[in-house]
Amino acid sequence: MAQHTAVPKLSFQYWLDKAVEWGQTTTLESQQDVCLQLPKLQEFLQQIYESLKHMNSTTALQRFPLIGQLLGRLCWNPFVVGYDESQKTLMWCLCYLYSNEPQNPVELKANSWILSLLCHLLSSSEWGANKVGTGTFISALGYTSADYYSKLVKNIVLSLVTELKGNQFNGLNVQGRVSDDRVNVVSLFCVPLITLPDVTPLLEALLTYHGGGSQEVLSSEFLEAVNETFLKKKIALSESAILSLWLRHLPSLEKATLHLFARLISTQTSSLEEVACIIKESLLPQAACHPPIFRIVDEIFKNALMETGGTPEVMTIIQVFTQCFIQAHQKDNKQHKFPLKAYFPHQQQHLVIALLKHPFDLPATLWSQHLKYITDMLKAIIEDKSIRSYTDLFESWFLFVHFGEWADIAVEQLLKSEDESSDTLLWLLAFYYNPHSDKEQRTQILVEARAVYDRLMMLFSCTTLSITDLQAAASTKTDKRQPCTKHLVRHLLISFLLFSSGGHKIAQEFISHVILASNTTNEVFGLLIRTAYRFNQLGIKNERIVKLVNELLQELRFMD
Amino acid sequence: METLLWQVEQLAGLLAVSRSGQVRDWDPPTLDRALQWGRYFQHLHGRFRAHPRLRAALGQRLRRGQQGPPLGFGHLGRCPELLGLALLGNRALPPAACHRLLRSLLLPPSDQATPGPCSLSLLARRRAAAQLLLPPSPAQARPEELEQEQSLRTEAQLLLSRLQEDEEEEQGPAGVLEDLPRPRVYWVLAALLLEQAGDNAGREGASWAEHREGPRPAAAVLSWLLGDPGRLSVFCRLLPGSLLVALSARYPQLGTPYLHLLTSWGSRLRYDPLSGQWASSRCPSEDELSWEELRERFSCFMRGPAPLREAALASLKNLKIQDGDFEVCGLSVWTDLLLEMDFRALRAGLSII
Repeated sequence: MAQHTAVPKLSFQYWLDKAVEWGQTTTLESQQDVCLQLPKLQEFLQQIYESLKHMNSTTALQRFPLIGQLLGRLCWNPFVVGYDESQKTLMWCLCYLYSNEPQNPVELKANSWILSLLCHLLSSSEWGANKVGTGTFISALGYTSADYYSKLVKNIVLSLVTELKGNQFNGLNVQGRVSDDRVNVVSLFCVPLITLPDVTPLLEALLTYHGGGSQEVLSSEFLEAVNETFLKKKIALSESAILSLWLRHLPSLEKATLHLFARLISTQTSSLEEVACIIKESLLPQAACHPPIFRIVDEIFKNALMETGGTPEVMTIIQVFTQCFIQAHQKDNKQHKFPLKAYFPHQQQHLVIALLKHPFDLPATLWSQHLKYITDMLKAIIEDKSIRSYTDLFESWFLFVHFGEWADIAVEQLLKSEDESSDTLLWLLAFYYNPHSDKEQRTQILVEARAVYDRLMMLFSCTTLSITDLQAAASTKTDKRQPCTKHLVRHLLISFLLFSSGGHKIAQEFISHVILASNTTNEVFGLLIRTAYRFNQLGIKNERIVKLVNELLQELRFMD
Repeated sequence: METLLWQVEQLAGLLAVSRSGQVRDWDPPTLDRALQWGRYFQHLHGRFRAHPRLRAALGQRLRRGQQGPPLGFGHLGRCPELLGLALLGNRALPPAACHRLLRSLLLPPSDQATPGPCSLSLLARRRAAAQLLLPPSPAQARPEELEQEQSLRTEAQLLLSRLQEDEEEEQGPAGVLEDLPRPRVYWVLAALLLEQAGDNAGREGASWAEHREGPRPAAAVLSWLLGDPGRLSVFCRLLPGSLLVALSARYPQLGTPYLHLLTSWGSRLRYDPLSGQWASSRCPSEDELSWEELRERFSCFMRGPAPLREAALASLKNLKIQDGDFEVCGLSVWTDLLLEMDFRALRAGLSII
């Protein structure tokens, strides 16, 4: 364990001053301040505890002369005592300060003071002196304050929940029952208690409470704290409560989306099923069934996509999220469900409807036709002079990214079916990988892609191939190739390995010699897990190809 | 088995010592032994919980030769907390032993899974939670009453648990109820009866007997109350009229004796012509009711459900007739009461004759 550096004296004084301040005033502002400072205070107390562990009580008192004052004041502050693990740390510190061999009256007094503080925290001896005689009664029954407070808190929570729910009879705000101020104060006072399981019903009742007015009645400290605790998975709330939270507090929704995003980027997932699982756990797809929430989440994803310059990982995340969202939407059996196309209001409705069809909604024979239909519409949008603005172009592309599985299908169709639609499909892929190009650039990309494609198709029926053959097919005459074109070519190559018999045989070799030598393992890995995911969804059981995909994935994982 | 019974018998002594001055001779090893005993008793509780006969035998031994509140099998299960908290509050415990106590009780265990530390920190947290959630906003009146209400409700639930535990060992409620502090026990009993009445209202599958008399612990508690006239008298005198009427509505076996008590108290009032008021005949003692209070209690009946209202009216009319059926004030307390009830009913827009 690392040597603990001294707890800075400055922060000690800071917290002592804070504790004095909190004890003197009971205004709403000071209470809000306490709630905001609780996490940092807990960290500080933890630091003190770690220091105290290695000292005896005399040294401790010399080292931290003001510690008695600090702990004393904090123990009388129910916000601090009620928060998370602070009460444990406070009690542990007190234990370490207790001297087992007091040498002088000062130490004796300190001991006595520590005991009285602990008894206060645990309702031990002032129990009997309780003015209403509860303590004596409970002792006579043979129970302890532990039993009493356990039931008491449950009773209080129940009565508060009833009070809150009773106020919403028939949706009318029954005058004089619960005032907005009271609800606000109750919500603020709940902030330290969020991780206490007994209080969860109250949290739910608060989150789903709607007062008469249009102003937010719950305190923002409460809403933020609940969101934070939920994101750290320290509390489990019902879906409707979380939905309520996000609907009424925009920052929480944004934080939740960014948190999910960060998690997906940083976690090493080995399959898209895992990614889908993480996404579903976050409850965002379910929440997104509310159009305002969908719009905000979508906006955040769009920004992320722009900031990262359209990396394939982000595109995949958006694609999987959209699929989870659609699943959640279909499961949702509320009466006032919005049709799916309502979630993309600024897009051409025909295009939206076409893209909403998932490949498994159509027989494989109709895929080419459907892709042509989509491409035609996209082309019409791109080339329509009247609505030609960068934003519209980007929006159409962003819409397409949501349904990126069609791009994968397009590549597959290119390689497997021999019909004249190759032009259309190549255009679609060029668009997918490079939306913001002008006509010249796009033509350039198409030309290159077509060249590579033609060469690959010539090798398609060869049974024996070598790596050099493939590399030759994929290479370019010019030195410079746009990154987007490289993505496209790589996609064609990897698919070629999977879908051609000659490619199968050299697939592993290609991966180990070419891909691993280059900087593209992540991208290829991404392509392969997308393929595996798609096969799973479509129920493709072609043993050979599935096995190959898995083997290649293994290889990439192993080398990583 | 005999060893086991002998061991269990030590529990009472252990708990008594932990609260007494005898602990001033304790050193850390003694304390450790005491805490070990606590854990051992808890272990016994866990082992024998599902064996009714062994439980009954252990419970019986626990209660042998006991003064004061009787122990039960449940005490074995709660022993570590009972012991720990009692020792913590005992100022006679010397520093070395106390130091050891704090370490064992409150610090995180290094390897053993003792329940102590976890439940005690939760206790501190819950106590803070009660402090935070209980006080209503300053605008709302009667904050102490709210606290009292929740306290009583909780104590009633714990009392119910204890009675149910005892019932499983075939102990009647009398043992526990006799030794509970008065007068608080009456308040708690009222809370218990109210809560049980509320619970039972929606419960399906309860037997007809239960519907008629109330669920079993409530019925047992009521028979204990009704069993002793002195006890019942204190109970009815202490609790407010509205509460008693609410209880009588649910438990008819309470309504009739209460009405009798009211009438017997009422008949002790004598009219004082000089002041023009009804007053108690002798110096007021606990059993003496003032005129105002009598009137108040009867009006609670009038505000109650129809059967109770009618029973009260019928009894008042009967007594009025027995007294001579006067219509003039000042001659029969019952006449005056009826006139008051009438007057109030008129004011409230009802007609009761």
